[in-house]
Amino acid sequence: MKVERTLSIVKPDAVGRNHIGAIINMFEDAGLHLVAVKMLHLTKEQAEGFYAVHKERPFFKDLVSFMLTGPVLVMVLEGVNAINVNRDVMGATDPKKAAKGTIRHTFASGIEENAVHGSDSEANAKIEIEYFFKQNEICARTRGKAKSCCSCAH
Amino acid sequence: MHKFIFCLLTALMSFSLSAQERTFSMIKPAAVQEHHIGGIIDMIEKAHLSIAGLKMQRLSTEQAEAFYAEHKGKPFYNDLVKMMSSGPIVLMVIEGDGAVAKLREVVGSTDPKKANVGTIRATFGKSVGDNAIHASDSPESATREISFFFSEEEIAQ
Repeated sequence: MKVERTLSIVKPDAVGRNHIGAIINMFEDAGLHLVAVKMLHLTKEQAEGFYAVHKERPFFKDLVSFMLTGPVLVMVLEGVNAINVNRDVMGATDPKKAAKGTIRHTFASGIEENAVHGSDSEANAKIEIEYFFKQNEICARTRGKAKSCCSCAH
Repeated sequence: MHKFIFCLLTALMSFSLSAQERTFSMIKPAAVQEHHIGGIIDMIEKAHLSIAGLKMQRLSTEQAEAFYAEHKGKPFYNDLVKMMSSGPIVLMVIEGDGAVAKLREVVGSTDPKKANVGTIRATFGKSVGDNAIHASDSPESATREISFFFSEEEIAQ
């Protein structure tokens, strides 16, 4: 039982259909807490850099251009076993194979436009979080006396 | 036929002219802490409003004081500033037809006890001071509040 952080992206298809709240709700109900979040419209360079591991794969170009079709929401989720819990809540990459009640089963329209991204391992979670967030953009889940964090940090 | 085309054109024009208004909202520290971010945004989106900008941040005392400067001197001012800087909050630019008025409807009355059932404050607010969410009270306030927190590049076009 380890408290972990993972990176989640609500993709342009789900943002465009106004499913942000419903998706965050599913994470929060599963005990994952948002400790950082921002909306942004990725540049081509940002999307290519983020998916660089897939560079040689046949779907790379389409994936990058899909990720540029509208704004996305990038988030850091925190919780016990956050990486696996997030993957359970998201469901299988292919929405047709995703279990009932998962985000992709509920909101995804295809294997590519599949509503959300989630880190697949502890190592990648760290890389992906650092790709989008500076340490001081991640908010400790405390009220009262501020820890030394954030823009957040006071 | 001409009449039909004329009507169609008029309809298209009025559609493109209908104001995509913007308003500003903050999910307050207690609601963030209690994991109601998704529930609150879901209620906003279900009212046919869209999120055009969003970020999580923790306000400094100075930021909270400046944001609420118009209330300076009122009895609740110090508590309000203290509460708003007590934990991370979620800042949002919200867009849609008549967004300012529509958001205030979804948010409900300042006092959660007086707020209509089904509004955000009736569902998630606890008291007048700790009422889950802030929403701009006029288009002028919306413009001022959005520019207080967001640069134009941070808002989706």
